[in-house]
Amino acid sequence: MADAPASPGGGSHESGEQSPRSNVREQDRFLPIANISRIMKKALPANGKIAKDAKETVQECVSEFISFITSEASDKCQREKRKTINGDDLLWAMATLGFEDYIDPLKTYLTKYRETEGDTKGSAKGGDGSAKKEAHPTPIPQMAHQGSFSQGVNYASSQSQAQHLMVPMQGTD
Amino acid sequence: MRQAGAYSGVMYWKTGPHSLPLARIKKIMKKSGEEVKMISGEAPIVFSKACELFIEELTKRSWMIAMQSKKRMLHKEDVASAILATDVFDFLIGLIFNETATPAATGDLGESETISVGC
Repeated sequence: MADAPASPGGGSHESGEQSPRSNVREQDRFLPIANISRIMKKALPANGKIAKDAKETVQECVSEFISFITSEASDKCQREKRKTINGDDLLWAMATLGFEDYIDPLKTYLTKYRETEGDTKGSAKGGDGSAKKEAHPTPIPQMAHQGSFSQGVNYASSQSQAQHLMVPMQGTD
Repeated sequence: MRQAGAYSGVMYWKTGPHSLPLARIKKIMKKSGEEVKMISGEAPIVFSKACELFIEELTKRSWMIAMQSKKRMLHKEDVASAILATDVFDFLIGLIFNETATPAATGDLGESETISVGC
């Protein structure tokens, strides 16, 4: 099957106007409506019902959400001269764009994933798999590791801790 | 179908039977811009959870609006109202208005056309 040309000039936004849900494109542009519907139902009380047009609207909104966050993360990668968008870039983009509330649950989720990933791959991984390191023009210390998002907060508090170490004891019999 | 190569790490990890399809998420990410070329394996994983949180929040806020008008069924208008009422959802306003504004825009066009013909 021939691949469709990768939307020349990025004109895909406007072209959707006359037929917003043409059947071929839908597979590429949206997440499956059954999955969306299931998540929506979970958020409602048992007696709550959802009209089809509401599901379709949320479906479009989710794709827009993914693009919105990805664009911001992608800009950051370009500024830092990196080619691969990673999980931390997405977390940063979400925090920047007002979705701070998602960060904690996502960090927990990501940590769990990284642990499981380490367990299953273990010794079989030769280091040239999915986590391929890019040649950074400037060394970025442990960027791909988990702490990077909260670095700014951590180092400030560790400085003040150091001051407490040497407190001379007063002579008490 | 190709063999699971670069994606094998993702496949081993159980995202749950009802979670969102990672390959589809990746596709949508790539459509976000021409400069989006490489995506780490964990990026779609982050999005599968983030999209769940996003859908839940949007649904709950829409439901609150539906309840205010004493409805038991969620409609598109409720989702639109929730988007307008929530700051972080501002990026969705274009999407909502594009669809509703189309018929009015066509009407305007028709009028201006008859004027130019009359001259």
